[in-house]
Amino acid sequence: MINKNIFSKIIGWVIAIIFLTIILLPIIYVAATSLKIPLEIRTSGSLFPQGGITFENWVKAFRNVPLTKYLFNSTVVAISSTIITLLIAVPTIYTVVRFKTGGAVLPSLILGTYVMPPIVVTVPIFAIIKTLGLQDTLVGLILVHSMMNIPLAFWLLDSYIRNIPVELEHAAWVDGYSKFDTLLKIVYPLIKPGVLSTGVVCLIMSWNEFLFALILTYSDASKTFPIGISQYIGEHGMQFGEMSAAALAGIIPIYIVVFIFSKNLVEGLGRSGVKG
Amino acid sequence: MASVELRNVWKIYKGDVEAVKDVSWKCEDREFFSILGPSGCGKSSSLRMIAGLEEITEGQILFNDKVVNDLRPKERNIAMVFENWALYPNLNVYENIAFPLRARKMSKEVIDEKVKTAAKFLDLEPILKKNARHLSGGEMQRVSIGRAIVREPDVLIMDEPISHLDASLRARMREELKTQVSRLGVTTLYITHDQVESMAMADRIAVMNLGEIQQIGTPLNIYHHPSNEFVAGFIGEPPANFVDCAVIKDDGKFRVTCSAFQFILDDVWTKRFTAAPQQKVRLGVRPEDISISFTESSNCCGLEVDFVEIQGDRTIITLKVGDQLFLSEILGDVRPEIGQTIYVKFNQEHIHFFSQEDGKNIFFDAEMES
Repeated sequence: MINKNIFSKIIGWVIAIIFLTIILLPIIYVAATSLKIPLEIRTSGSLFPQGGITFENWVKAFRNVPLTKYLFNSTVVAISSTIITLLIAVPTIYTVVRFKTGGAVLPSLILGTYVMPPIVVTVPIFAIIKTLGLQDTLVGLILVHSMMNIPLAFWLLDSYIRNIPVELEHAAWVDGYSKFDTLLKIVYPLIKPGVLSTGVVCLIMSWNEFLFALILTYSDASKTFPIGISQYIGEHGMQFGEMSAAALAGIIPIYIVVFIFSKNLVEGLGRSGVKG
Repeated sequence: MASVELRNVWKIYKGDVEAVKDVSWKCEDREFFSILGPSGCGKSSSLRMIAGLEEITEGQILFNDKVVNDLRPKERNIAMVFENWALYPNLNVYENIAFPLRARKMSKEVIDEKVKTAAKFLDLEPILKKNARHLSGGEMQRVSIGRAIVREPDVLIMDEPISHLDASLRARMREELKTQVSRLGVTTLYITHDQVESMAMADRIAVMNLGEIQQIGTPLNIYHHPSNEFVAGFIGEPPANFVDCAVIKDDGKFRVTCSAFQFILDDVWTKRFTAAPQQKVRLGVRPEDISISFTESSNCCGLEVDFVEIQGDRTIITLKVGDQLFLSEILGDVRPEIGQTIYVKFNQEHIHFFSQEDGKNIFFDAEMES
């Protein structure tokens, strides 16, 4: 029995290590590249720096492109759009699930927009944002990102709300609360882990979003971090070292967020049952 | 305090599912009124319409003779105890009980006083700070009652409040609930599928089946004078026995015969059958209204013993009646052999005759008169 246990444990570890390597290898590569001497990057294909470590790429990355400004823009856009997404998605999904608002049409319509490739709507969205005079502003991008994430939030929150025993809400109505108060005082506290993990996912989606940011922003005032990264590909070729440094600088904040909420995220995405 | 009245209430769900069909009854002020029926009989739909959780398809619901059809749940001043208790898992016991008071924007001091009084009443003081998730079944049940009574509702609705408890606790809770509710003197609607609960607690019972009211009356009335075969079969444990019989007039007497036995009816029944002659009937007899003897006597029927179930204080003997089985309940310890023929007599005071067509108690009016 003991042998069997050890054996299965070893298998488990091997699988875990294989997975971790697959997931972490690109990031390790990026981290290593950001510390290599620029010349080495072009000539050597080795994973780890051979010719010594330098912070030159990091310094240049921040000097050649206003990366700090872009990271700031990304932060503003990600946080604001996530808040707007949640503010709209939570009540919406609640009424759709509980009161069948929109019948069968609304939920499938919302999910349909999630399935559709975003490139399809770039032209109309650009036209709308331009009509509103919001092109090249953070507000414009925030609006587009929050709309973009609503189907995702909708889909993630659905099972949380379904898992709440409906009697809890009925009890609250009978106890004298309106439907909105019931959502606020009873439903929201129960789905809070789900709302948090949904928020983190939306944050990541917005942080990494490239297509809409590319067409809607064109000055440093509103460009976001993924657009910034693309700027290291210039007329004079690709600045791999600087790009790696910038990429890492952009990954770190979102990793910290995920790390802080990881307990919530795992708990939330894995299980979404609230027992009454 | 309030009376509750349903007038020709219908509930039709999507796809023409008729959950409640033309139901009318009135529960008087301070009455303990029970709605009893098997699952799917429309009792839950009825109570959800009374509570305002569901729309009324047709008809009227009145509280204190005022129509409340269009009032929202919070405007009806009702309280509800749910089947799964529906305690708010994010709140502790104190906050659960205080929750309806907070909705009414009462001051902190008033809330505190009311919650403490309710807690004392229900013996919940030691667990006030406990989270609702971590309570035992009995505690949850008491908290849900506390939450219901703390704001002095006009009507208290209980939906299978003790059916999730285990058997021994359930028996104790029946008694406790009844005591608490009568101390409060609040109009109570008690919904259950368990006839024992209804019989033990209710002032009056409305028996429902397939969306329709079968009978409304006091527990004893319903037990002794069921209006139809369903009520007779649903109330009582073990259930009543039924068999198709012919009634033959024979020399001024009426003889009930079926494939397995025959017996002659007494004077009361003779009078009734003379007044309203019937030939094909369905005899209904409760297990405890069958008496047995090992020796033959006049007007008794010999039946073969199929099974004997010993329960200590009483014995349940299954008898073969043609291809059907009859249960009889005999007080004390009787041990007939399986396969043996024993002689049974029916207590004619408590037998009923139902229509073979619609199951109605043919002599219901006559029974009620006597």
